[in-house]
Amino acid sequence: MTDWSDDDALMAALQEAMAETDAVTDRRRETARAAFAWRSVDAELMELLHDSALEAGAAVRGSDTARLLSFGRGALSVELEVDGDEVSGQVLPAQAATVTLQRSGAEDRTVAADGAGFFRFEGVTPGPARFVVTASERTLTTTWVTL
Amino acid sequence: MDPSYSLQALVSSAREGDQDAWDAIVERYLPLVCALVRRYRLSDADGDDVCQTVWLRLVEHLDGLREPEALPGWISTTTRNECLRLLAARKRMTPVDPMDSVALEGVAEDVATADLVAVEERQALREALAELPAGRRELLLMLLADPPIPYADISERLGIPVGSIGPTRARALDQLRNTRALRAVVSAGLEIGGEPR
Repeated sequence: MTDWSDDDALMAALQEAMAETDAVTDRRRETARAAFAWRSVDAELMELLHDSALEAGAAVRGSDTARLLSFGRGALSVELEVDGDEVSGQVLPAQAATVTLQRSGAEDRTVAADGAGFFRFEGVTPGPARFVVTASERTLTTTWVTL
Repeated sequence: MDPSYSLQALVSSAREGDQDAWDAIVERYLPLVCALVRRYRLSDADGDDVCQTVWLRLVEHLDGLREPEALPGWISTTTRNECLRLLAARKRMTPVDPMDSVALEGVAEDVATADLVAVEERQALREALAELPAGRRELLLMLLADPPIPYADISERLGIPVGSIGPTRARALDQLRNTRALRAVVSAGLEIGGEPR
């Protein structure tokens, strides 16, 4: 536990604290500030319900390397399978829908989900992403996730 | 924007769409996010991505935040969760060597509690510094500068005699110990059953 009663010890602690400020890169500051442009007051959010990355033992399943994510709000959910740079998914309950992949600093990409709710994006690079799903005249947005 | 601006005011302005207030929130908590990310030994690129995700999530969470005071805790928890999530996701992508006992643990290991406490203490110190009157804060920052600034220069820049720099430093540090930010840390330490500091 830190002792802050001694002046020199407190100064040393302050030095360490300010070193963390100095360690912030411009790139991180820029992207953090720019995140505010994504503010949309009335977006209906789908929460992240499940992420297989956090399952115990996930890494020992050998060849099964795809990551499974599931988002939902009310009755509507979307299941995603991330395998390398390929993201395939399904809107549930199964139905036709449009799905838009949003990334910071990139154009939106929209695909159609077929009658069974299946859709797919290829060439998806690592980084933050979210998905906007329009189905049955409702538009829902997933929370951001790092792919 | 004034670094001593209250979190409550910053959050409510940001909710109204004020970019300056958002930037001030970023300025206050980005060192905390970066310090936490560093502890998880992600690659630089993954660290950048986690950091960006945390802020994007805060943008969407801004209206759901009941108490602005809960913000630092939310930021800290979200950052740690995102780091663990990405670490685990990256591990899955790597072929597993059955002889590698680390990989067999499956999920990513969290950082030691003592390490996290230290990171949060340093955040409290920065907030305490922001609470000080501008003159005192500037004096302390000048005294912390590396390479050191000669007393004669400090005296000239702040308009105080060289002989009173020492006593002013002592008063500034006393004032720092009495800030809301540091008193909160000390009383939290006492509640957990730690020794008085």
